[in-house]
Amino acid sequence: MNQDIIKVGFIGNPNCGKTTLFNAYTGANLKVANWPGVTVEKKEGRTVYKGQEFLLIDLPGIYSLTSYTMEEKVSRECIISEDVDVIVDVVDASCLERNLYLTLQLIELGKPVVLALNMMDIVEERGMEIDLHRLPEMLGIPAIPVSARKKTGLEILMHAVAHHKEYAKQGPFIHHHSENTRHQHNHHTEYAMVYDDCIEDKIDILISQFDKKYPDMKNKRWHAIKFLEQDETVMRQYPLEMKALAEHNYEKEIINEKYDFIEEVIEEVLVNKSRKEECTDKIDRYMTGKWIGLPIFLTVMALVFFLTFTVGDWLKGYFEIGLEFVTERVSSILRLLGTNPMLESLIVDGIISGVGGILTFLPNIFILFLALAFLEDSGYMARVAFVMDDIMGRLGLSGRAFLPMLLGFGCSVPAIMASRALEHRKDRLKTILVTPFMSCSARLPIYVLFSSMFFGKYAMLACYSMYLLGIVIAILTAYILSRIDGSRAEQSLLIELPEYKAPNARTIAIYVWEKIKDYLTKAGTVIFLASIVMWILLNFGPQGYVTDITQSFGSLIGKAAVPIFAPLGLGYWQIVVALISGIAAKEVVVSSCSVLFGIQNITTAQGMESFVATLGAMGFGAANAYALMVFCLLYVPCTATIATINREVGSKKLTVQILLFQLAVAWSVSFIVYHIGKLFLL
Amino acid sequence: MRLKEGKDNCTYIVESIDMELNLERRLEALGLTPGSRITILNNDKKGAITVRFRGTRFALGKRIADHIMVGEDVA
Repeated sequence: MNQDIIKVGFIGNPNCGKTTLFNAYTGANLKVANWPGVTVEKKEGRTVYKGQEFLLIDLPGIYSLTSYTMEEKVSRECIISEDVDVIVDVVDASCLERNLYLTLQLIELGKPVVLALNMMDIVEERGMEIDLHRLPEMLGIPAIPVSARKKTGLEILMHAVAHHKEYAKQGPFIHHHSENTRHQHNHHTEYAMVYDDCIEDKIDILISQFDKKYPDMKNKRWHAIKFLEQDETVMRQYPLEMKALAEHNYEKEIINEKYDFIEEVIEEVLVNKSRKEECTDKIDRYMTGKWIGLPIFLTVMALVFFLTFTVGDWLKGYFEIGLEFVTERVSSILRLLGTNPMLESLIVDGIISGVGGILTFLPNIFILFLALAFLEDSGYMARVAFVMDDIMGRLGLSGRAFLPMLLGFGCSVPAIMASRALEHRKDRLKTILVTPFMSCSARLPIYVLFSSMFFGKYAMLACYSMYLLGIVIAILTAYILSRIDGSRAEQSLLIELPEYKAPNARTIAIYVWEKIKDYLTKAGTVIFLASIVMWILLNFGPQGYVTDITQSFGSLIGKAAVPIFAPLGLGYWQIVVALISGIAAKEVVVSSCSVLFGIQNITTAQGMESFVATLGAMGFGAANAYALMVFCLLYVPCTATIATINREVGSKKLTVQILLFQLAVAWSVSFIVYHIGKLFLL
Repeated sequence: MRLKEGKDNCTYIVESIDMELNLERRLEALGLTPGSRITILNNDKKGAITVRFRGTRFALGKRIADHIMVGEDVA
């Protein structure tokens, strides 16, 4: 049966739910993301319906079939080639006018096209209706309502694909064109998209030329249209000596006529359109208003922030209790089993405390993404880009970059993941670079400990100054970088503002689950390894397994690195090791200090007193403490963040460069702060 | 006149777009061609504007809005 396999190409506009539909069939774990062109590489999957096997190909999300971008070229070549028998054009039914433009281009390609009307549920929610009888009549292709999210209509769609494979010819067409065409052919019975006589005449001339010169050419009409559009690929592949025709570029006329026809289709097919649009306009009067837009956005973000940290931390408390319980249980079980202490230490101190510590952040992440999914699905997120565009533009960043930076106060991992919403790679890299400078919640314990030890009643102020410093450094970095690469006055935002809708619980659940899964799997594996590495460094030395931390490799490394940290007032090997251990997770700096200096209950008043005394004896004063806080704010982020950066930039070299840059910034700023601090604080 | 100079809730006809080819093509593929109608929804700020064309709302950066020439819609 293998030779009869039907090859189906899935294509559609960005954000039309194409990948979700593809996943509904194949069950493959493809990434569903939000910026245009997420599936740049070709992805394939198989499905069987009534004994018929289908090979599904997921093509990039594109708006048109020109050949100006890589995505368009890939899709076009794949569809024209033998790789595709039937095209499934996935269309966001709630945005038919925009989506049908690609549909018309696909129909012109001459291969069997089946229209999958996705998001019909949203159409209903908005009180609109689509005439499913009239639409196929006008386009000459079957139109199947589906819901990728609810997994409805999937079998009918494949049924239509299997059937429609036989009918390469489209039609019949029933149009109500009133114009009297003087054209010799009555194309309206043959093609869905018929141009005005002037263009049709030229198409005829070109087809007759192609007939002579390239008799084997398939679908000469499409090639003729592309020739009139002066499409580079077609003109190079099939050159014609047609100076008169080649001189003028008919692309604009062809686009206009396609949209004119779409207007005609929409008029006849879509019922109740205008009502909801007015509603969106009313909301937008506030959301994008000159004076009120920004305050609304700040309020919304404050709310998201508040929820993440109040509700999130509240849940986090329970996670911590659970973790403690697990730790105790595991160690008592291990002891019962008579496991050797080394293995026990690895499992309890290494893996559970490392991986578990990160898992306790899950509630924060969950709430944060729940709120974001809500904003995204309702259609508000695109407005944020508009509201913030001018301010961010001055910093050389796109309006959309504001969100990741704000999220950075919570946790750098979701913040960097949120940078995916940015369209241009340059913007994304810049945002990823500066986001870790926004002080994440994990760094707070460090500030609290050291500022309350050394700054007394000014402790709060010292803490707060860290947040401010982080923002200033992030803004400065973005500004300087933009000055260097000259993208300061870019201001070429181009983003669709979808209509507002009530968020769909299922979409939100899928969105949040995707993110949580990402966090658990990807970050989890890395943290698992990092925890083991950290444990080995602190528990093994040249003599093998050591219980005394000063004999460990960690301390040796710390001692070796002391000269580098001495100019910052941090030239103490314990501090250096604590900082290195902080790469696993920032909170670890505090717990490492307690282990390294042998002080128990470091957060109690007594603990702090003896810690201050110990540090004081070493010559570590307020200026040193402040330099340490600054360094913790700015230096290399935690492993989870590093892993996320690596995943998002997709290059180890670039990741290392970003880390080195952050280290350099941390070193220089701490150096300056330490030396200025010494003048005032000692 | 430039699109950026247009008034809220007014519809204009696009006369020309003068930008780097890539951006121009992108706009055209979205249906913003010479001769097409564009309605300004919000041009209150100094920078970006929001518009509607071909049935969809878009936010356009200031640079784009400055490089689209439009004329009054006579209809």
